[in-house]
Order: sequence, then structure tokens, then C-alpha cells
Amino acid sequence: MRRTTLVTAAAAVSALVLTACGGGDGGSASGDSGEITFWDTSGPNESPVFTTIAQECATKGGYKVKTETVAFDQALNNYRTAAQGGQGPDVFRAEVAWVSQLAKLGYVVDLTGTELASDTSDFLETPLGSTKFDGKPYGVPQVTDSLALFYNKKLLADAGVEPPKTWDDVKAAAAKLGGEKTIFINNDAYYALPFIYGEGGDLVDADAKKIVVNSAENVKALETAKGLLDAKAASTALDPANSYNNMQAAFTSGEVAMVVNGPWSVADYLKGAAFTDAANLGIAPVPGATAGKGSAPVGGHDYVIRQGTKAKDSSVKFIACMSSTESQARIAKELGLLPTRKSAYDNADVKANAVVSAFEPVVTSAHPRAWIPEGGQLFDPLKIAYADVLAGKKDAKAALDDVAKAYKDTVVTEYTVG
Amino acid sequence: MRRFLDRHWYAYAMVLPVVVVIAVLVLFPLAQGVFFTFTNINEGNIANPILDRPATYVSVGLDNYLNILSGDASYGAFWGTLVRTLIWTFGCVFFHYTIGLGLALLLNREVRGRAVYRVLLILPWAVPAFISAFAWKYMFNAQYGIINQVLRFFGLPDPVWLGQSDWALVAVMIVNTWLGVPFMMVALLGGLQSIPGDLYEAAEVDGATAWQRFRNVTLPGLRSVSSTVVLLGIIWTFNMFAIIYLITGPNPNTRILVTYAFERFFSGASRDFAVASTYGVLILSVLLVFAGVYRRALRKQGEVW
Repeated sequence: MRRTTLVTAAAAVSALVLTACGGGDGGSASGDSGEITFWDTSGPNESPVFTTIAQECATKGGYKVKTETVAFDQALNNYRTAAQGGQGPDVFRAEVAWVSQLAKLGYVVDLTGTELASDTSDFLETPLGSTKFDGKPYGVPQVTDSLALFYNKKLLADAGVEPPKTWDDVKAAAAKLGGEKTIFINNDAYYALPFIYGEGGDLVDADAKKIVVNSAENVKALETAKGLLDAKAASTALDPANSYNNMQAAFTSGEVAMVVNGPWSVADYLKGAAFTDAANLGIAPVPGATAGKGSAPVGGHDYVIRQGTKAKDSSVKFIACMSSTESQARIAKELGLLPTRKSAYDNADVKANAVVSAFEPVVTSAHPRAWIPEGGQLFDPLKIAYADVLAGKKDAKAALDDVAKAYKDTVVTEYTVG
Repeated sequence: MRRFLDRHWYAYAMVLPVVVVIAVLVLFPLAQGVFFTFTNINEGNIANPILDRPATYVSVGLDNYLNILSGDASYGAFWGTLVRTLIWTFGCVFFHYTIGLGLALLLNREVRGRAVYRVLLILPWAVPAFISAFAWKYMFNAQYGIINQVLRFFGLPDPVWLGQSDWALVAVMIVNTWLGVPFMMVALLGGLQSIPGDLYEAAEVDGATAWQRFRNVTLPGLRSVSSTVVLLGIIWTFNMFAIIYLITGPNPNTRILVTYAFERFFSGASRDFAVASTYGVLILSVLLVFAGVYRRALRKQGEVW
């Protein structure tokens, strides 16, 4: 009798523990719940428009959509953690570099055989490339973008300077534009890419499986960036934590004449004191080492469906609606974001949008990135190296050698250092 | 055995739930973590029933430990990071304790408006840590932050606080000190109030100076409180992740052991659970060694701990 008490107590406790730990659900997709959670990473300027279109799609399609806005810099991490546990959104707006990584880890649904994969001929080729992993489609391109040179037309005109075509032009213009007030260089890895691509460099050579981040071209590229600072032709926020915000503040207040940034920043700029007249905002291709050779990375975002979703059919319908020509044209018109469908560019409203028309040549000439699963992870080591170089803490060669070593040890371990 | 159980079954039955809970919540994860340090487990090869995927990680022996202990930069430059962690820990706790003690002594006197001062001084502790962190991040902004504006106004040099230099570590230490002082102050104030007043009277009668009273009455009277809060402070500061990460992000100049473990586990390049677990085990080892030494030192002084 006493023994039984002991056993019962033990059984009760373990039962308690087991039920507490067994909370996760199996996520076997039988049927469709008709309720979609959409994680939108686009930020406060753009999100209201996406939310409105999402609601209209839901009403038309007969399902429910809940849009949750997620901070862009936390989104990938949060999604991976959630998806690993069978939680998270049904539809996710993933940056182009994330898709192949999520596909490799098994966190997104293979779209083969759905209506989303049946006809993709209308999509621009480079953004479409980002949705493929192992030859299979895992996403649908939402928007595409690239980096361009934004300039304050009034400041340049007053100084009698043309928008620069090369980094040497920037240096030359500095004498007239007030030295450090010429251009603001953001010390983040993504913003190092125009310098790197402009010199003909790259981070990795995916076809040859080689790490080329410490090539002579890249060393020269980072030295060019540092050279602008040394020549007092550029300013930067040396603290990476505040860099982006300081860049935006300096440009919108008219303190600096030029910045390199993407189309998503236009809404911020037009709110600033320097651009109360929207016509004052000039957009040009990024400068290069030689004129016309400037090249910026292809960016953008894709829609993906989470593996384990309970609303796959609704999600497919939802993405089809969100990425239709009509929706894309509307997004382009209202936000100045670049459509990924060729047909959307024929729309009269899209053609009339100044930002879209300024960015169209930039995107067509943009440098494609390697769509490898590790593509998104290449930035963390480069970010630290680039910030170190701009702060004068390390020379470009040593910093990039460290990046190459970090790639080899932790990111693309099967590649050779070239 | 049988008689033993018969006599004590009640005690065992009462203790059992705690033992089971500890085993499930503490010992099992700990053992699992230690096990992971001998494998190459990461996000790509971990088992995932939701995705219908079996585990494919393999044992790699001591590779994780060897990689980390070699001090290689790709594995977090362990020795440099350890030294920085120790500077950060002891620097912060030193300022916590000294400033906290100073404030406690002030507040232990009869001052007009003492209650108001107490509330004001406890305030940093009442603000959620992440709000403090973001507020300080704005204040440390090298171009627009109020701290550098004030420094510039007085013609002083204005460093790039959160940049690629050791100033970043100074900055986070300032914030952590600001956050940690209230706790020390309150704890020590409690200790001060438990020292009987007649000891001070007796010392005064014997002609002891203020310094002698402090050294020979106050400090010994505070010893048991101090030893506890200093140990707690050291363990908390050693593992203080939020402040550093929220203010500077993954900056190698403020990297301490726990922030690097987090970088490897959750963010950054590779979600390498194996390396992160190895860091966890190494952090635990460092703290265990420290606690052992600390305890021995206290026992020598006659403290029971």
C-alpha cells in the first residue's frame, strides 16, 4: 500500500512533466484552416500599403489574413526559430538571399505543382533566380531593388557639380561641396558591395566554389572607400549601431549632398526638410571605378510559404493575388518599389513614377548575387571588417583575409580560398 | 532496505517531485548540452519531427574544444574574449560595489528628503533593461548623441563611443554600472541598518576616527551581505547579455563569452549549436572554478556559505 503511494506519486509527476513538454503540435496539413498569418518585414512606411492590399486579397479570395509587422533585422532569426518548432507565419516576406537558405533547411514549401510555379515567364530573370534552390521553386518575387546614388539636386546645382560617375569624381566634387559634406558612407557590409562590384570583385565564386573576398580587387575597393574618408570627401558614422540612422538624418536634413541607398528609403527622404519639394531628390546609378562601370547588388524580397503551414491552399491563393500584375503596379505606384513582373512596367502609373523609372536602368544593370544557401550569412564577417577598415583600425588586406578565413571556417566550409 | 523505505517513505515521496523536476529541467538539458559539445550539431543536421527529418549530426570528439581553446578568431578568439569578459565583470562589479556602498552610506544618515533620494536612486533598476539600453544607445551616438554634444560644448574630445575601439567596452560598462548600482545600494543599505548603533557609540567613546569606525565596524558588519551580493554581481555580470547586445550588437570590441555563444547559437553566420554549447560548458566551468575559489577564500575568513 505504501509502495503504491510512491509509485502513484512518481507516475503523477512524470505524467505532468510529459504533458507540459508535449505541447507542440504535429502540423500535419490536412485540409485548410483558411486563416493566414503574414509576416511583413517592410517597415512602417510601406507596411500599411501591403496590409491594405493583403486585406483586399483576402476579401476577394474568401480567406482571412492577419498581417504582422516584423523588424527586418530580426525577421530571419525569428522565422528560423519559429519554423524549427512548427510555429510562425504561413506566408513570409523573405529577403532574396534568405530563400535558398530556408529551402535548404527545409523551412519553406516547395512550390512545384502549384499555380505559383506554373507560369513564371512574366517575372524578371534575376529576381526569379533568387527563388530557386536545387532547380525547384520555393518563392515568388515580391519586389526587386538595388542601390543607387541619391543626391540633393539643389546642393549639387549650387556648387556647379554634375552627379558623379566615378569615385574620383566624388573626390573632385568634394572641393566644391564642402569636403566631408559631399557623401555619407554607411559602414555596413551591404553598402560595401557597390565598391566591390564596381572594381570587378565579388565575395565568393559559387560556380568554382572559391572564396574570393580577399582578392586584390576587393582590397582596392575598400581602400577606395577609406580613401574618400581620408581625403575628407566623405563622412561616416563610425559606430555601426547608429550608422544607418545617421546617414538618413544627415541626408534628409540637407547636411550631406549624396548617399548610396535603395528605393525603400525614398519615403523617409521625402519626409525630410531637404526634400519637401520631391523634385529636389535626384537618383543616379552608383559611381564606379571608371565611368559607367558602377554596379550595385540585386536586392529585393520574395514571398515564401512556411513548411508545416495549416493553410497551404489559401497561402498559394494569397501569394498569387499579392504578386499579380495589378497588385505590383499598385505597390509601385504608391510606394515607388520596383515590380518583379515585366508586365507591371507597362502600366501607365508605374511608368509615371519617378523613383521606378529612375531605378529601372539601375536594376537592369545590377550585379547578381550568388544564390547559395549561405548567401545571407556572408555579410556578418564582412560587416565587421568593413567597419574596421573605415575606422582605420585594420588595413583592407588584413581585414579581408580575416573575412576569408571566417568564411572558410564557419560559412562555406567546402569552398577553397582563392 | 525494505525497513528503510518503510520508515522513510513519506520523506521520499515528498522529495520525489522536486528531484524529478530538477532532473528534467536542469540535469537533462545540462547533460544534453555537454553531449552536443562532442558533435557537429547545427541547424542543418538536427532532427526535426515537424519537418520529417532525422538527425544526421556525427561525433567529432574534442574538435570543438580544441578549435575554441586554440583562440582562433573564427571561433570567437577565446582567450582574448575571456580576458575582456574578466575586465568587464570585475570592472563593473567594482564600480557597482564602491558606488553602491557610497550611496548606501549617504542614505543611511538622517538627511532631509531621504525617501525622495531613495526613490530616485532606485529608478535605474525600475526601468526595463532594454529601454535603458536603447536610451543609452541614442545618448552615445557619436554625431548626434547628447553625451558628445556636451563634451564638444566644453571643448573636450568626443570619442566614437560605440565604434570599432575599446571605447565601446567603456560605454557598455558605464551603462551596466548605472543599471547595477541601485541593487547594490539597496542591499548594502539593508546591511548597514542591521549594524547595531551601540557599536558606533562604543567606538566613538573609545576615540575611533570616522575612518576607523568605517574600517572596523561598518565593513565587518557588512561582510556577509557584501560577500553574497558581490558573488551574485559577478555571476550576473559575467553572464550579462542584454546590455551589451542591445547597445553594440555583434561588435568584436565588446564581445564577451555569452554574447559570442548567442551569436553562434541564434544569429550570425551559422547557428552552430555545437560551438555554442561548448561555449556554454566553458562558461559554466569558469564560473564553477571561480565559485570554488571564492568559497574557499570566504571560509578562511570564517564565513559559512
